[in-house]
Amino acid sequence: MKDNEPALSSFQQVSLVVLRTLIGWHFAYEGFFKLWRPAWTREGALLGAWSSAGYLRAANGPFADVFHRLAGSSWLPALDHGVSIALLVVGLSLLLGLFTQAGCVGALALLSMFYMSQVPTHGLHETGNEGAYLFVNKNLVEAAAVVTLLAFRTGRIAGLDLLRRGPRDQRPRVEEAA
Amino acid sequence: MNLTPEQETLGRRNFLKALAGVPAVAALGVAAATRGPLRGGRVKVAWLGVGGQGRALLGRMDPAFVDVRALCDINPTSLARADEVLAKLNQPPARHYADWKDMLAKEDIEGVVMAPPLWMHADLAVGCMEAGKHVLCEKMMAWDVPSCERMIAAAKKTGKVLEIGYQRNYNPIYQAAYEGIIKAGELGEVYHARMVWHRNGNWRRTGEPPSKDYDPSPWGYPDFEHLLNWRLYWRYSKGLLAELASHQINVANWFFGATPEYVQGTGGVYRFKDGREVQDHVYTTFEYPGGRTVTFSAIESNAFENYYEMYMGTKGTLVLRAETDAMLFPEGAGARATTVEVAGHAGGPALDASESKPASQTSTAPAASAAPLPAPGGGGETSERGQASRNEISRWAAAIRTGAPLLCGPERAIHSARACIVASEALQKNQRLKV
Repeated sequence: MKDNEPALSSFQQVSLVVLRTLIGWHFAYEGFFKLWRPAWTREGALLGAWSSAGYLRAANGPFADVFHRLAGSSWLPALDHGVSIALLVVGLSLLLGLFTQAGCVGALALLSMFYMSQVPTHGLHETGNEGAYLFVNKNLVEAAAVVTLLAFRTGRIAGLDLLRRGPRDQRPRVEEAA
Repeated sequence: MNLTPEQETLGRRNFLKALAGVPAVAALGVAAATRGPLRGGRVKVAWLGVGGQGRALLGRMDPAFVDVRALCDINPTSLARADEVLAKLNQPPARHYADWKDMLAKEDIEGVVMAPPLWMHADLAVGCMEAGKHVLCEKMMAWDVPSCERMIAAAKKTGKVLEIGYQRNYNPIYQAAYEGIIKAGELGEVYHARMVWHRNGNWRRTGEPPSKDYDPSPWGYPDFEHLLNWRLYWRYSKGLLAELASHQINVANWFFGATPEYVQGTGGVYRFKDGREVQDHVYTTFEYPGGRTVTFSAIESNAFENYYEMYMGTKGTLVLRAETDAMLFPEGAGARATTVEVAGHAGGPALDASESKPASQTSTAPAASAAPLPAPGGGGETSERGQASRNEISRWAAAIRTGAPLLCGPERAIHSARACIVASEALQKNQRLKV
């Protein structure tokens, strides 16, 4: 670390940590919700056990065949369970700032998988989506945001990684983050 | 009340027109969660009493909501038939029991759906609730009022969900009629409602005992005939008023927001003098506060009118027919219900185990036949009636899991039971009695 390089401003640091927290919550709740099912809405509607089968069957893009085969495979329940746990673990990592870089890599892996299974190539409005997408969808935008977190090593700004790393100078500097 | 096809079309159109602008009823649990989900899967249940009505309910249940672990009945033939219903639904076989206490002791279940003969409702429901099980009990609530009160007390004491099987409360047609017609004041002031349940056939069932040496006497039935035809004997039954009127009076109480104060009636065993005790013809008048009067008739000698409820208001008439049809006729502009429909209702007598299967869905037996009427098949029914029972069971499961409110509930059910029990007494004494 070079001491003569400018540190990130507080605003920049807070912005990055807020971004990480929001993405972490998004992942963690998604994982929690999938693991929590089967469940019920408080109004009494049944939410059956979660399965990615429908999602995989609707896959398109260059790897569609792979995803379609997954949808019919006998180990889909294990895969569903694994994805749910992965979402929760990645989410907690980003929320808590613990093993943040690994969490970012995990998030990128999951988002890449989700993106590749549903590449928006037709550019039309789809039922269930609130907008029309061509190549760029929210998965891709979120993945880009995770790349930003990865680049700036936000675990050194705030999070349990600070405790793990010890009391050295943990404030990231611009060149280090880059 | 027989209408021409043109009148029926007009009435249905009026009904739908009156509903326009009424928000969809969200009471059946489709609204989105606001505070996150509550954990839990299907409710683990047993079916207690899988005779005709028990199997009909079993066939209408949604396996997404309930997981049927066990079946209990003192008749092995009924258990075997219930297996077939489960198989039709692609559900795994459930374990069999003859003794309900044995079942409760051995099975990991949360709730019991029960459809035993009326006289056993209270003992079984209270026993199940005291064993920590939720209960969905087929109507009528119980054989007498103290038994109904015992069931409510047990539900309160144990904190278990108790629902009574008045499926009209879960029928989207009735909900729409209540929300869009009754509550909206479309009928004006309603002083009279007519309840009709007319059939042409013998309520007595025929069937073979499960084996030559089958003896149901340990369960209180001197012979198999009394078990098979429990509805015909006062010890077990309250006759047509319990099996038919209690459904329609339950709705009248709901729509009027009141319960009857007095009741009187006549009737008797006029056609089928075969040793039965309960009447085969019943005519009763229920007096509600505010000068509102409900008449109910159930006959077993003519099915021309089928079954329906008609609410006659100063501004219009609402007809709810056979649980599948709703019509509205504004006063002065609507059809007169005087045209005789010669054909179209030649379907067989409308009886199934719940005594309310529309004629159009029953067998092709001739309308004037006095032959024994078919028992229900159960399984895969898709009518509004079947859907109503399906909603009822699913909603009961939801109440267990999430505390979602019941749409009938024991407090409403007891009013209907009380009115019909007193009506039965009034009929036998030929007196006007206070409810």
